[in-house]
Amino acid sequence: MTDAVASDLGADTRKPARFLYISAVVLLCAWVIVPIYFLLINTLSSPETVTSFPKPFIPEFDLGSLTFFAGFAGILTALKNSVVVAGLTMIMSIAIGAPAGYALSRFDFPGKGLFRLLILLTRAFPLPLLALPLAVLFIRTGLDDTAFGLALVHTTLAIPFAVLITFSLFSGIPIELEEAAWTLGCTRLTAFTKVVLPLILPGITASAIFAFVISWNEVFAAAVLTIENRTLTAFLLQNLDTSPLHLKFAGGFILVVPALIFIFAVRKYLFAMWGIANR
Amino acid sequence: MTLLSKILGAASGVAITCTAVAAQAEVLFWSTQAKPVEESQAMREQVLSAFEGGVDYQPNDPGPWLTRLQAEIQAGSGTIGVLGALHGDFSAMNPDDLVDLSDMGVMSASETFNNLAKLGTDTMQYIPWMQASYIMAANKEALQYLPEGADVDALTYDQLIAWAANVHEATGEPKFGFPAGPKGLKHRFFQGYLYPSYTNGVVRTFASDEAVTAWEKFRELWAHTNPASTNFSFLQEQLLSGDAWIVFDHTSRLAQAFNDRPDDFVAFPAPAGPTGRGFMPVLAGVAIPNTAPDMEASKALVSYMLKPETQIATLRATNFFPVVDVDLPDDLPPSVQAAGNAVAKMSASADANPGLLPAGLGDKGGDFNRVFVDAFERIVLANQDIRAVLDDQKAALAAIMEETGAPCWAPDAPSEGACPVE
Repeated sequence: MTDAVASDLGADTRKPARFLYISAVVLLCAWVIVPIYFLLINTLSSPETVTSFPKPFIPEFDLGSLTFFAGFAGILTALKNSVVVAGLTMIMSIAIGAPAGYALSRFDFPGKGLFRLLILLTRAFPLPLLALPLAVLFIRTGLDDTAFGLALVHTTLAIPFAVLITFSLFSGIPIELEEAAWTLGCTRLTAFTKVVLPLILPGITASAIFAFVISWNEVFAAAVLTIENRTLTAFLLQNLDTSPLHLKFAGGFILVVPALIFIFAVRKYLFAMWGIANR
Repeated sequence: MTLLSKILGAASGVAITCTAVAAQAEVLFWSTQAKPVEESQAMREQVLSAFEGGVDYQPNDPGPWLTRLQAEIQAGSGTIGVLGALHGDFSAMNPDDLVDLSDMGVMSASETFNNLAKLGTDTMQYIPWMQASYIMAANKEALQYLPEGADVDALTYDQLIAWAANVHEATGEPKFGFPAGPKGLKHRFFQGYLYPSYTNGVVRTFASDEAVTAWEKFRELWAHTNPASTNFSFLQEQLLSGDAWIVFDHTSRLAQAFNDRPDDFVAFPAPAGPTGRGFMPVLAGVAIPNTAPDMEASKALVSYMLKPETQIATLRATNFFPVVDVDLPDDLPPSVQAAGNAVAKMSASADANPGLLPAGLGDKGGDFNRVFVDAFERIVLANQDIRAVLDDQKAALAAIMEETGAPCWAPDAPSEGACPVE
């Protein structure tokens, strides 16, 4: 009898908590989804509907705005360039950032604290300030107007995140695991690739996503350092703010979708990372 | 390690391919104008496609535009063939970086424009390319609230305020729209419209008693202005959405409203004050940087831009009017017809008081605009005392004029040396 009362009571106290939990989840989902949904509706609306109020909740599937961009000269090349630059940025920032993060977590060397701080300094200077000397240097060295040159700049922007994320990941993996591998015949390298790397792969994915998004969203350097090989953001974003409303929505949609697709594709690695964090 | 070397190999491979692709023969047209996607599309397809050898038209924000140009000038080699920008953008540049265009054999029909294009030197540093102006536009529903005896084509500021008040009262909402947003061209309204109409000057009369009256009037108008105006930069949007019924803006920033719903809106001249109907042109030009890779092609493109048929095509594409004498065809888009009529009525009005663009300010043009924007923000948005603000801002303005030594321009009376703030 007392047992039943206790469990009833438990259910009662759990109910409000559960309600709170669910409404928080709904709120957070709405927070992300509603703006994207409005973007979608307005993208698929005719210009008249876009400027009218109230907005309909069901898109009318008017493809006028999207068709305009389909015929917009150079948009596919720009999309390709964006993917190439973001991909290169991702690869280079991980190739440089992960070893740096490993070194920071495993070795003690003089000036380590200062080094960690200095890494962040690359974000301390605004790009409009750096763009001019960079562009002069790039023109002189022939890196100007190449996806590789722009990816170098974006890598510099992404490296602090790559180093700091991988640093905390490596620190979370006990050194004993590596030591055990060494006693079982692994070298430092094979212990890293066979034991540590699989454990932190999700974290690496997360910093790769960061690098991708940073590169994808960067406008100023892209606009100054590339001309023929413009990225999609440089190509579209600075023209969109002065464009009519319906084209703003369609252009915004075009800018958002590829990044969404990318994050959706790598999402399982992200969830795996949170699994590690809980452990 | 093999993975790393593969990655490096792939990266350098991509880099090499990209460098190879970058070699091209089209003239790069590096512009701050015709930036909206529809206009740049029209520039590429309708204006520049007929140019032999091809043009790569790239519109940019002024920031990247200038940074890239400076980088090429510093590096001593470049890819930009032709520059397209506003007079203010060019006047902020060092004339030595631009190719002397006096021997091109093309120029605008206006002596004033050609003189502005010399940028204070003896030779043409850029060639005037196209012009526009600022006008008023209104939703036709607002016309019924015009104050008695007012002619929409010959309004005064008092009538405009009364009109905006009538609409406010009738609809319960303030329906005047003003481009006070971050990208709005509000400073031009003060420099070219409000000040000339009330004080017959811009610099000399900045802190005069007439200027105080002008700001008082503007405050009255602001009471009937949609308070969201501080977020409006392209009034065509608010005309179309109905957030504003009576607006002031750049002709090309009103174009979409007339083209989308030509029967719903009217364009009309800016209002007149005690010292006439002040108005101001917008002038864009084309120039060639010293670092242009193919000088012949660049010069050919500049000449091409000034041809009458190119000028008409540019008018259709951008709503900027020709600077050379052309016979305008009858089938122009509604926005061009509406704006053209309003500008014509404005210039032909008996009390017309045309002003000029600020000249001789060099790279202080932005600071000059700032003086007016700050005065607006303090007087109208922060409701500070007008006399105190003007006396305060006067010092900043005087410092700019003395530093640049810029002489007065119309409607200010001519000066010897730097234009004085009286």
